[in-house]
Amino acid sequence: MENAAPAEGAAPAEAAEAAEAAVAGGGWRFLIQPRWLGWHALMVVSFWGMLWLGDWQFHRALAGNALSWAYTFEWPLFAGFAVVFWIKTIRDEFRIKRGEIPGGTYGEPEDLPFGVRAVQSGEGPADDEDEELSAYNAYLARLNAEVKQHGRWHGLR
Amino acid sequence: MTVVEAAVLRYRVMAYVTGVVLVVLCFVGIPLQVAGHPAVANNVGVVHGILYIIYLTFAWILSRKLQLANKPTVIMLLAGTVPVMTFIVERWVTRRFINPALAGQSAPAEPVRP
Repeated sequence: MENAAPAEGAAPAEAAEAAEAAVAGGGWRFLIQPRWLGWHALMVVSFWGMLWLGDWQFHRALAGNALSWAYTFEWPLFAGFAVVFWIKTIRDEFRIKRGEIPGGTYGEPEDLPFGVRAVQSGEGPADDEDEELSAYNAYLARLNAEVKQHGRWHGLR
Repeated sequence: MTVVEAAVLRYRVMAYVTGVVLVVLCFVGIPLQVAGHPAVANNVGVVHGILYIIYLTFAWILSRKLQLANKPTVIMLLAGTVPVMTFIVERWVTRRFINPALAGQSAPAEPVRP
């Protein structure tokens, strides 16, 4: 966790605060990583977009399109879903960081090819028990990387 | 049936129901509407809207249970708006996330060669 370690030149108060946050596991700075900023932006745009669509349907409904009444209520509902889902997602992220719920988020290491996945410690055989399998998995990963490279190369040509 | 299995079942049912209704809307309703008979598209459209709300709820609950990252979660949620996509995404989610999760749940993962 790179945000847990305070910078060397930081004021003592700041360092203490950072250390406290690290102990509590309440580091919120992952939320301003570029990836998360992108998600925030997507959520804001889709929220206002859905409200705008609801407003548009409302005006169509007022103009006499009876079907639009259904969508007038549906779009704001979707916008509300987006907000609720987003708040819950971020709260869960904090809870994982605090260790209240187990982590191990699926879908994060997306560069791993299918069939090759990280094995949680404590489950299954330790790495040294099965060198052959890990060598095989490394071989698969290497093959996958090579194949991806090929695709890119041919794409360029 | 565990909590995750129940969530998977609910998601799967809604993925297929919503998917079928959306296919009817797009490949029967819209052509009829273009031909001047908008009744099917109107009714099926509203039905799909309601089903999609339920689909969203169940898909999101499953994504929380599986602790999916944001990207697969958003793909799952939006699949209900693209014709045929719920079927494809359901298969992808099953292979990529549900099966590994259920396998890890019931028994310690046995190293298996493909």
